[in-house]
Amino acid sequence: MTHLVQAIALGLLIGGVYALMASGLTLIFGVMRIINIAQGAFLILVAMLTWWLWHETGIDPILLSVVTTPLMFGFGWVAYRLLLSRIRGSSASMSVLLTFGFALVIEGVLNITAGNKFKSATPSYFEESFRVGAISLPKAQVFGFLAAMAVLAALYFVLTRTWTGRAIRAATQNPSGAALVGVGATGTAALAFAIGSATTGVGGSILSVLYPFFPASHYDWISRLLGIVVLGGMGSLPGALVGAGILGLAETLTATYGSLNWSTLVFYIVIMVVLLIRPQGLFGAKLREDTV
Amino acid sequence: MSRLRALPRAHLIAGLCLVALLLYPVVNPWQPYPQGVMLLAFLLAIQASSWNIVSGYAGYISLGHSMFLGLGSYTVGVLAVRFGVNPLWVAPLGGVTAVIIAVLIGSVVLRTRGHAFVIITIAMLLAAQIFAVNLKSITQGSDGITLELPFWDRDFQNIPFYYVYLILLVLTVLFSAWIRRTKFGTGLVAIREDEGKAASIGVNTTRFKIVAYAASSFFIGMAGGVYAYYLTFINPVGSFAILGSVTIVLATLTGGRGTLYGPVIGAFIVQVVSEAATVYGGGSQSRVLLFGLALMVVVLFLPKGLLPTIEAWWRRRHPEKVEYTDQAGALNRAPATTTERVRAELAAVNAEDAIAPGEILLDVRGVSKRFGGLTAVDNAGLTVRKGTITALIGPNGSGKTTLFNLISGGMAADSGEIWFDGRRIDGMRPWRRGHLGLGRTYQVTRLFKEMTVQENVVAPLPDSRWRTMFSDAVGGHEAARARELLDIVGLGRFANQPAGALSYGQQKLVELAQVLMLEPKLILLDEPAGGVNPSLLGQLTEVIRELNRSGVTFLIVEHNIPLVLDLCDPVVVFSHGAPIAEGPPERIRTDPLVLDAYLGDDWRPAEDGTADEGAGESDRAETATREAVQ
Repeated sequence: MTHLVQAIALGLLIGGVYALMASGLTLIFGVMRIINIAQGAFLILVAMLTWWLWHETGIDPILLSVVTTPLMFGFGWVAYRLLLSRIRGSSASMSVLLTFGFALVIEGVLNITAGNKFKSATPSYFEESFRVGAISLPKAQVFGFLAAMAVLAALYFVLTRTWTGRAIRAATQNPSGAALVGVGATGTAALAFAIGSATTGVGGSILSVLYPFFPASHYDWISRLLGIVVLGGMGSLPGALVGAGILGLAETLTATYGSLNWSTLVFYIVIMVVLLIRPQGLFGAKLREDTV
Repeated sequence: MSRLRALPRAHLIAGLCLVALLLYPVVNPWQPYPQGVMLLAFLLAIQASSWNIVSGYAGYISLGHSMFLGLGSYTVGVLAVRFGVNPLWVAPLGGVTAVIIAVLIGSVVLRTRGHAFVIITIAMLLAAQIFAVNLKSITQGSDGITLELPFWDRDFQNIPFYYVYLILLVLTVLFSAWIRRTKFGTGLVAIREDEGKAASIGVNTTRFKIVAYAASSFFIGMAGGVYAYYLTFINPVGSFAILGSVTIVLATLTGGRGTLYGPVIGAFIVQVVSEAATVYGGGSQSRVLLFGLALMVVVLFLPKGLLPTIEAWWRRRHPEKVEYTDQAGALNRAPATTTERVRAELAAVNAEDAIAPGEILLDVRGVSKRFGGLTAVDNAGLTVRKGTITALIGPNGSGKTTLFNLISGGMAADSGEIWFDGRRIDGMRPWRRGHLGLGRTYQVTRLFKEMTVQENVVAPLPDSRWRTMFSDAVGGHEAARARELLDIVGLGRFANQPAGALSYGQQKLVELAQVLMLEPKLILLDEPAGGVNPSLLGQLTEVIRELNRSGVTFLIVEHNIPLVLDLCDPVVVFSHGAPIAEGPPERIRTDPLVLDAYLGDDWRPAEDGTADEGAGESDRAETATREAVQ
C-alpha cells in the first residue's frame, strides 16, 4: 500500500514536470500546426546551459530558470523569424523536417562544445527528501513540480487574461478571422513560438537536476513529449496535462511493480490503446475536415 | 506530360547506370573501399525508394523508418543463430516481419488524417530499441548477436553483397514504379494532394495508407536481414538508430520526394558526401551536425529536391506550346459512339437497381449539424427521386453545402438518418458511399493539381475490390475509360495537361468526368455553373441532360436561377438549415415565401394571383416539405 501511494505521489510530481515540458509543444502545434521536433533539443540545450552556470556560479539550478527563460524566449522568437517563417504555407511535413534538422544541429553543436558525456546538476538538496508519513518525496522532485506548476499557472494566466493570450487563442481557432480583427498572423505565430520555447527555459533547468543528460538525450525527451501530446489530443492544453499525468504514473508504477527498463514502453502501449479507441486522442477535437 | 515524355529517356539513363554498376566489380575487382561505399549507397537507396512510397507518394512522413532495417536484421540474426541457417536464405523473412509490424502500427495510427503518424513513427523506433535491449532471452540484450562469417572465400571480399544489394535495389525501384502505375499509386498521390476529396471519389484512404506503409517496409526489412550478415554483428543501438532514419529522409528529399529515381540519386549523393565528411571532416562526431544542417538547407532552399528542380528548369528552357484556353477545343464534341457506349454503361448500372424511376433514391430524414452555436442544418428532410434532376436553392449560408457534406460523408451529422438506394448510409465512410454510386463535385473545384487531367479521372474507384485497386492506371482499360469520359465532357485533348493549368470552368467539367468514373447513380453538383462562361455552361447543361437520360439522378445546388428553372424539376428551397418549399419550378418561382427568403422582388409576378395558395402551406418548414413530397 505504501508502495502504491509512494508511486502515485512520485508519478504525479513527475507528471507535473512533463506537463510543463509538453505545454510548449502543444501550444506551438495549436497555433501554427508546427510539430516542433526541436523542443527536446531546446530542453537539453537549456539543461546544458543551466549545468554550466550552476557549475561556474553555484546558484541553484532551478532558480537559474529566471535567466534561461527570457533567453529561450528570444531564441524561439529569432528561430521562428529566421527559419520557420520561411516555410509558412508549405505542408506541415516540411516543418517537421526543418525542426528535426534544427534538433540535429543543436545536438551536433552540443556534442562539439560540451562533449558527449552524461551530466547532472547536483545542488545541496539533491539527495534529501521530505517525509510525509510513510512516504518520502525527494526535494528536487518537489521543487521541480512546484516550479512547473507556477509556470503553467502563469502560462494559463497569460493565455486567458491578457490581450496577447487572447490573440494567440484567436489565431489558434481561426487565423483568417483573427487577422480581420487586427491580430497579425506572423507576429502572433512568432510570439507563440517564443512562449512555447520559453517553457523549455524552466523545463530544461528542472531537467538538469532531475535527470542525467547528454546531447543525444533529446530523442528520448521529444518522443516522450510527443507521446503526451498525441495521447492528450494534439493542440489541447488540458489534454497535455492529463497525458503528462498518465505518463508520470505509467512510469513510476511500472518501475515499482515491474522493471524500470519497461517503463517508457508501457506508456507507448497506453498511447496505442488510446488511439485504437479514440483516434484523435483524449481531448482532441475532430477537426472540421470538409470545408468549402 | 513532359514528365511522361521524358520517362523513356530517364529509363534509358537508369539502364545505362545499372549496366555500369553491374560491370564495376568485374572491371575493378581489387578495390574493396569504393565497393563498400557503393554497397552502402545501394542499401540507402533501397531504403529511400521504399520510404518514398509512403512519404513521397502518399505524403505521410515517417521519421522512424530505419526501424524496419533493425527489425529485418534481428529477425534474420535470431533465426540464423537459433537454427543455424544461412542468413541469406531467411532474409525475405526479415521483410515479412517488417510488413507485419507496419500493418499493426498502421492499423492503429493511420485511421485518421493528420500528424499523429509522424510522431508515432519516432516513438516506435525507440520502442523497438527498448524491446531489443530488454527481451534478452531472444535478442541477447545490449550484448547483441554475432553471426557466422560469410561462407565464400575471402578473396571475393564483399562482392557477393554488392550484387545482392544491387539486385534488391533494382527490385525496389521496379516495385515502386509498378505501384505508381496502378490505381493504388494514383490514389496515394490523391491522398497527398487532398485526402478528403480522395475519400469522396471512392479511395479507401485508411486501407491505401496502411498498404502503402506496409509496402514501404518490405524491401527495407529484407535488406536489413542481408545487412546483419554483412556486419556479422547486430546490437540494439546500431540497429535502431535514428540517424539511419535521418539519412533516409535526407536522401529522398535531396533527390526529389515523390519521384521514381530521385530517392536513388539522393542516396548516392548523401552516401558519398557523408563518407567524404567522415574521412576529411573530423570523423563521425560531426555527422549529426552535418546531417542536421543539410536537412535544414534542403527544406529551406531545395524543398522539391534536385530532380524536379532540374526538370522545371529544363522545361523553362524548352517551353512547349500548349493551347490552354482553346475554347473550340474544349467544346469539341465527343464521337457519338463513345458517348453511346458510356451512356449504355451508366444505363445498365442504373437499370439493375431495385429502385424504379420515380421512387425515392435519396432520403434525408431529420438531419441536423451544428458548429458550436451555429446550427447549419436544422432537422432537415429531403428526398430525391430516381431519374430526376432535383435542384436545391437558397440563400448563402442556408446550409446547402453542409447538407452535401453530410450526404457525401465529409462530415458526420449530429442527428438524423440518411438513406441511399435502400441502405442507411449516414454511418458509412465517404468511400463506401462512393462505391454505392454516390458522387459529388465541389463548389470550389478540388482537382488534384499536381496530377494530369487523365490521372485525375482515372483516380476514382467504383468498388472496393483489390483487383480494381491494383489495376493499371496508365494504360489498359481504366485509362481508356478515363479518355472516353473526358471526351464526353469535351476535354479529351487536355488529357495530358496538369489539372492545375486548366481554366476554372474546364476544371468543373473534369470534376464531373471524375465523378462519372464512379459509375454513379446519384451525382451531387455543388454550384456547377459558378464561374463558368456561357458557352461552357451550355456544354455542361447538355452533358447533365444526356446523363440524366441514361438514368443518372442529379441533386444540384445552384444560384443561377434561370438555369435551375430550365433544367431542374423538382426544386427544393432551403433557408436557415431546412427546406421551406418544394415543387415544380413554375410553382417555386411564384411562391411568396421563396420570394421573401431568396429570390427577391425581381421574380415577383406582376399580379399576385398565385401567391395565396402557397402562403398557407408554407407556414412551417416541415409541413411544407411533407405536403410537397405528397
